[in-house]
Amino acid sequence: MKKEFATFALLLVLCLIVTALNPRFLSAANLQNTARLIGAFGIFSLGLGLVIITGGIDLSVGSAFALLGVLLSIMLTEWGLPWPLAVAGIIALGAVLGAFHGLLITRLGLQPFIVTLCGLLLYRGLARFIARDETKGFGDAAGFQTLQQLATGSVFHVPTPFVALVLSSAVMWVVLHRSVYGRHLFATGRNEVAARYSGVNVHRVTVGAYVILGLLVGLSAIVFAFYTNSISPSSHGSFFELYGIAAAVLGGCTLRGGEGSVIGILLGTTLLQVLQNLVNLLGIPSSLDFAVMGGVILVGVIGDQVLQRRRARIVRA
Amino acid sequence: MRLKIAVLIGVGVLALAGCGRPQPSTHRIAFITNNAADFWTIARKGTEKADAELADVSVEFRLGDGTAAAQKRIVDDLLAKGVEGLAISPVDPANQTAMLDAAAKQALVFTHDSDAPNSKRECYVGTDNVAAGRQAGELIKEALPQGGKIALFVGKLDARNAQERLQGIKAALTGSPIEIIDVRTDDTDQVRAKANVSEMLVSHPEVAALVGLWSYNGPAILNAVRDGGRIGQVKIIAFDEDDETLSGVKSGAIVGTVVQQPYEFGYQSITLLAKALNGDRSGIPASRQLFVPTRVIRQNDVDDFRTKLSQLRGR
Repeated sequence: MKKEFATFALLLVLCLIVTALNPRFLSAANLQNTARLIGAFGIFSLGLGLVIITGGIDLSVGSAFALLGVLLSIMLTEWGLPWPLAVAGIIALGAVLGAFHGLLITRLGLQPFIVTLCGLLLYRGLARFIARDETKGFGDAAGFQTLQQLATGSVFHVPTPFVALVLSSAVMWVVLHRSVYGRHLFATGRNEVAARYSGVNVHRVTVGAYVILGLLVGLSAIVFAFYTNSISPSSHGSFFELYGIAAAVLGGCTLRGGEGSVIGILLGTTLLQVLQNLVNLLGIPSSLDFAVMGGVILVGVIGDQVLQRRRARIVRA
Repeated sequence: MRLKIAVLIGVGVLALAGCGRPQPSTHRIAFITNNAADFWTIARKGTEKADAELADVSVEFRLGDGTAAAQKRIVDDLLAKGVEGLAISPVDPANQTAMLDAAAKQALVFTHDSDAPNSKRECYVGTDNVAAGRQAGELIKEALPQGGKIALFVGKLDARNAQERLQGIKAALTGSPIEIIDVRTDDTDQVRAKANVSEMLVSHPEVAALVGLWSYNGPAILNAVRDGGRIGQVKIIAFDEDDETLSGVKSGAIVGTVVQQPYEFGYQSITLLAKALNGDRSGIPASRQLFVPTRVIRQNDVDDFRTKLSQLRGR
């Protein structure tokens, strides 16, 4: 909990500053826009955080969004599948990709970085090939208006992606912080050998993390596809995995594994989206977008490090 | 189905290597794009038409991936294979001059879509983006006779066509009561593209018109304005012929869109190159720039334009 404090403080300070400079930050429209994006980015960041806790990484998320988005469009508009079937298919396919990564990593002992880097290239290429390098869309959504409304709409003025994030977070919180699987996951990430000797099936735990990430990537892919309403296979979702990784690290996961929390990942995601929002709201030139994000994340990480060192010194004294 | 094809191609690729080489008397011409987009599907049809019409030409069509490095590799490969003429849309014209000059020593080089005027390219075939910007400027003035504040959206502002379109729009708006309050960029991330528009509607509720300079910016603006419940209040002006943009023009949500003619890029590049390789350079203008005019598509033009487009795309 202490580790998330720096991120929370940073987020609070930023929100106060932005509100002071432009009160429209707290307007209903802006909160809805930002909540929608936090939902979309948060869902897969939760999964990515889980994988990072095992000491792994997934670089293929952005490409998977392109591939799954293209397939979703084809299923709905060209094959005319009933939408619940298409949704189930996309989420299942996400899980299959995750299982594929997990098995290569555990059974063949390949490094997660390499496996998912190949995924990044492979899925992007497949997406472009399957779409014949054409942008895929949803037309007038004939036959699946319900799904479109579900993905882009609101429940009592709360955007559905945000609702989906809250539900996923609740489930993930139980999985990570209140279940045996969660304990095994932290144990595997912290010291895989020790975990194995303690009787933890580390292979199954690791594959499980990648499968859960896959499921969440499938869900996010649907949200993103309907958010842009068109999927250009060469650029859709490009580098989105970095937002997930940044959110997890900002929220207290370390890339060495064994540390992290659901609350932290949520705070990290929120911070990243608020940063992008404030660039636009304060009229900061778009060119500084990434610079602002990089700078603030660095401040957050430095602040966290300084706090920890001070705490360590106090404990020693 | 496509997956099956992928496997078949994978198996067949080695067997096919070495087959289908053209006769020595034919001119080998290559058409290289900057990236993979629908736009190029149409240009490809143009190159195929020229290929079919010209008996002594064989055309190779290569898609770039948006980087100068990939284009360099493609050009090197093509030259090694003995291509005599190539038409390329340089990703980064200013810094690819050396590459184009080197290629020009071995082959006849044209630029299309995006020009590199300082290189030794023989001719440019493509849009006059300043003129296209001026057409968009006229659309904006038409949409806002009383004037007002407008915001522009584009992927990257350092791209030449973005700069030129902006220049054209500014030129057309000089002296009018219309003020450009901001130009937001999204690095071709479409999620950001839409979020930029949503956030513009929040930070500047008084904005009267939104202009998208790149093809996906039109749909991004349309979707964000629709989500914000501001269709009709905020005017939209777009570029290019994305399906959603055309639907928006048809429904009246978008005032109009300025479209290029990529089919002509493909067709004219290949025919001019073929002629020049046969020693006839009369088709190349003295300015070494062959401008393919842009068109403005308004509500009444959409149906005709769409029919033509689906023919070109072969759908």
